[in-house]
Amino acid sequence: MLDRIRRHWMLYLLIAPILAYFCAFLFYPMAQGIFLSTQKAGLLGPVGFIGWDNYAKVFSTPAVWQAIWNTLIIAAGITIVGTLLPILPAIALLQITPDWLKRGFQTAIYTPYLLSWVIIVGIWLNTLSPVGLVNSVLEGVGLIDAPINFFADPFWARPMVIGLTVWKDVGFHALIYLAALLSLSPDILEAADIDGANDYKKIRDILLPHLMPMIKVVFLITLLGSLRTFDSAFLMLNGRTADQIRTLAIFTYERGILNFDLGLASAAGVVLLVVSLLISGVAQVVTRTEREN
Amino acid sequence: MLRSPSIRILSYVILLFLAGTMIIPLWTVVATAFSTKFGSLQAGINLWPNPISFEGFDTLFRRLNFVLPFANTLYVTVVGTVAHVLLSALGGYVLIQEDLPGRKIIAGVILLTLTIPTQVILVPLFVVFKQFMLLNTLLSLIVSELVSAFSILLMKTYFEQVPKSMVESARIDGAGHFKLLKDFYLPLALPGVVTVAAFQIVHKYNLFIEPLLFINDPQKITLQIALQSVIQGESSTSTNDFIAPNVTMAAIVVALVPLLIFYPFMQKYLIRGLTVGGVKE
Repeated sequence: MLDRIRRHWMLYLLIAPILAYFCAFLFYPMAQGIFLSTQKAGLLGPVGFIGWDNYAKVFSTPAVWQAIWNTLIIAAGITIVGTLLPILPAIALLQITPDWLKRGFQTAIYTPYLLSWVIIVGIWLNTLSPVGLVNSVLEGVGLIDAPINFFADPFWARPMVIGLTVWKDVGFHALIYLAALLSLSPDILEAADIDGANDYKKIRDILLPHLMPMIKVVFLITLLGSLRTFDSAFLMLNGRTADQIRTLAIFTYERGILNFDLGLASAAGVVLLVVSLLISGVAQVVTRTEREN
Repeated sequence: MLRSPSIRILSYVILLFLAGTMIIPLWTVVATAFSTKFGSLQAGINLWPNPISFEGFDTLFRRLNFVLPFANTLYVTVVGTVAHVLLSALGGYVLIQEDLPGRKIIAGVILLTLTIPTQVILVPLFVVFKQFMLLNTLLSLIVSELVSAFSILLMKTYFEQVPKSMVESARIDGAGHFKLLKDFYLPLALPGVVTVAAFQIVHKYNLFIEPLLFINDPQKITLQIALQSVIQGESSTSTNDFIAPNVTMAAIVVALVPLLIFYPFMQKYLIRGLTVGGVKE
């Protein structure tokens, strides 16, 4: 054993910078966050241990509960719609026969995944502006009397964050599903044909069950990602929508960086971490037991 | 696969609709960008600028400083991606050494990093970057995600497909680790290397939280932040010089150009990369 370790010293030397990097820029900040959450914040940094006080303050701040609630609603919306909706284009892509057309559709629906949130919000600010395309069309066909101000209406705030996130990811998720569908042996569908199964039966009894493991994977990725929503909601945040879409991650940023309340913000960050670990843990257990049954 | 014509029609409807939600908004962005200031303020459906004008681009480059942020982003993207790919390759290389004592522990530590997302440690990250004196430096943007578990695991997956026999004979001839990596793993697993690089280029180009958090100095500002301030109209100084939609949309078009140049070459890898990660489950 010792001999093997000695023989491989070079490999340890190679991995050392990577492990050192993770320690310095991930584990150490994490520990720092937990440390700061137990400290009283002074102007120049932490000034002393105060135990659970910051956490007590976190849970007695109504804005925190609002932020937790916003995070959960937005995460639920993104996770449910973002997991299920991409099944449609994935199955649809299977039917498209000229290869160039299929690739064209793939490219078009996948592209938003590569765009930054700044660009996405910019694009939709233009299309959904009160004088923009969507409002003009809706007014033209008489569906609405006055233009809807999508980005400054509390009613639309959460649907906008959820909708644009789903739109950004739909192509990505659809391609994951498509790859899974392509691994399905054509023999099975042929056998179903011989048995006289119609298309809806084939989708329900063959395609969807085959897709199920991947749906669970996408569900978990989406859930984890949406619980830490920051960029999207941050860029759509304004005076009128703040109370609907200020997520817990945004709250920690505003309190910690803009208001220098490091203790409270760090405690809120730890709460966010614990909440997301708990939810994803439960989700993992639930999807796993389902898989075994 | 499926036979009934109704499903085929429905498939086209779904895909045309989704593709439309991408293409039409993007088209109106371009149309607005090439409009005059007056034209871009008109209500209605603006699908073709009339008259075509470069006013927006002119304002963007003459009045707002858009070149410096571009250069900064380019620097961060190039240096950051090269460093990220090299370190991830090293990590992947170490993880495929089956007889390395402690390999499982190393892999465990790397996997553990996946549970700590940036958004959760924003505040301590700021404190730590301050301690390392990285605030207000472009280096801070290269350091954040210098290497990631995702890329290391992707590299490992690709390296595992390199035939052991080829590498073994070179090793017996006395080739060192760096030589094995340079002459065998990196060239033979090139699709994997390109995939990691492509994702990292997109990631670095789109960086938003990190510059927001770490950079205050107007000289060090990056493209996405500059773009955000144009979109929110913060850079407007006087009322008769306010930023009209044609300028904002011109900024978006300019920011899209590098991606559109890069996308056709990388699309294959970006899409394959996803499915390699996905199918493994």
